[in-house]
Amino acid sequence: MFDSSPIETWEGAEVMFSFAGGAGTHLFFWLAVVLCVVPLYYVMKDEKEHEDKHK
Amino acid sequence: MSPEELQAAIEWTSRINLEVYYFWCTAIMILIHAGFMMYEMGASRVKHTLAAGTKNILAFAYMIPTFWMFGWWIYLAMINGFVPDWEAGAAGVPWSDSMGPNLADNATGVFWGAFTLFACTTASIMSGSVIERIRMTAFIILAVVLGSVVWILSASWGWHYAGWMVVDWGYHDFGASGVVHIISGFFALGVLMHLGPRIGKYNADGSANKIIGHSLPMTMVGLMLIVVGFFGFLGGCLFYGGGGPAGIGQWTNIYGMPTTLSAICFNTLMGVAGGMIGAYTKTRDPFWMMSGALCGIISVAAGMDMYYPGLTFVLAFAGGVIGPIAAGYIERMGIDDAVGAVSVHGVCGILGVVFVGIFLGGYPPYAEGVPTITFMGQFKGAIVMVLLGFIPGYALAWVFKAMGILRASDGIQEVGMDVEINATAYPEQIKSNL
Repeated sequence: MFDSSPIETWEGAEVMFSFAGGAGTHLFFWLAVVLCVVPLYYVMKDEKEHEDKHK
Repeated sequence: MSPEELQAAIEWTSRINLEVYYFWCTAIMILIHAGFMMYEMGASRVKHTLAAGTKNILAFAYMIPTFWMFGWWIYLAMINGFVPDWEAGAAGVPWSDSMGPNLADNATGVFWGAFTLFACTTASIMSGSVIERIRMTAFIILAVVLGSVVWILSASWGWHYAGWMVVDWGYHDFGASGVVHIISGFFALGVLMHLGPRIGKYNADGSANKIIGHSLPMTMVGLMLIVVGFFGFLGGCLFYGGGGPAGIGQWTNIYGMPTTLSAICFNTLMGVAGGMIGAYTKTRDPFWMMSGALCGIISVAAGMDMYYPGLTFVLAFAGGVIGPIAAGYIERMGIDDAVGAVSVHGVCGILGVVFVGIFLGGYPPYAEGVPTITFMGQFKGAIVMVLLGFIPGYALAWVFKAMGILRASDGIQEVGMDVEINATAYPEQIKSNL
């Protein structure tokens, strides 16, 4: 699976979140952005359907 | 134990205490959202109940990731105005070492959490005023702009020891009367001006009808939960561990001036009481008695780190009286603010900021070269907050209105906003024609 650890030992470890300092942080950041925007699109679509039905 | 080891132990204890303190402040602040949800649902008619609650809580959910994506960066980077300080903001970008689990950083996560909950509060303040006719998606986008951009920009200017309003004007706003309440109250006003009133609110001659929510008890319990949540909110306005002129182990306000939790306890309770009594004296209305608690707290929040409790009570009483008067005036202007958010938060927020300029002159500044509190500094600060809140709300709502995505159709409003979320609050017990 993913080798996501930024540390090799707990001795003196500081930053220890998964993918720290690597491209994975950017990948999951943008995935999070998409997962905020796409549901809004579907809710808006749903709203429009209801609006059309109850004009 | 050597003196160095002892010093290290003291510093670690201080850090852990800070972490624990803000962790629980954040948890208590979530009660504000439970409270706002109940408040709005109770203030809605039956057919709109769940839509009101759902939009409120979805905004809460959207605020959290967006505040992580860009809100915290804005706070750190925008202290000089509209031009970012990239170096100061570096720790706030979401892939920085501070923005995730880090054994050398006990502070960023809990501060980010507390500030995120402040952002959620700003969105909830607007949420109540627009119930029963705003579209869900428009509301969520407005809420994100308010909470994750506008409020935190105002905080960077006036609620940060290096913010330009603090450094240039000596602006003092301990409990966020301006940076949270004026901002969200006037943002809501800008939105309401384009959103328009609920169907049936105004008669042809311009007179207003009172639209009664389906559960005043639910609204009252919700408001009481908000009062409880305020202890987390106002507690979160303190800084533990100090530094600067206060030294380690001293509570300070966000500007670095020494204060105590006791001061906040005195004045939060006196503010709640003064506002409730003032509003009830003015209106004899249970709804306004509870909203008066908010009027009271907000009217004293900016200076509650230093006020004499007797003064707090008097100012909060005044806030409790002025809040409903302002709400009546706004209603007569043709603006349908369903829960009085513009008056409770916007108008009482102005009172809170300006009262500091009147009653807290003469206190020494928090650092050499920084101005002391002055009436003009506070007055100008209130104007900045009004404009910073109102203009984005007005402009964005204008765009949404032009796009036709701001307001639900009359048909949806007639049948009830709950139809959009495919749910019914009380399927069998209560007739849905209320």
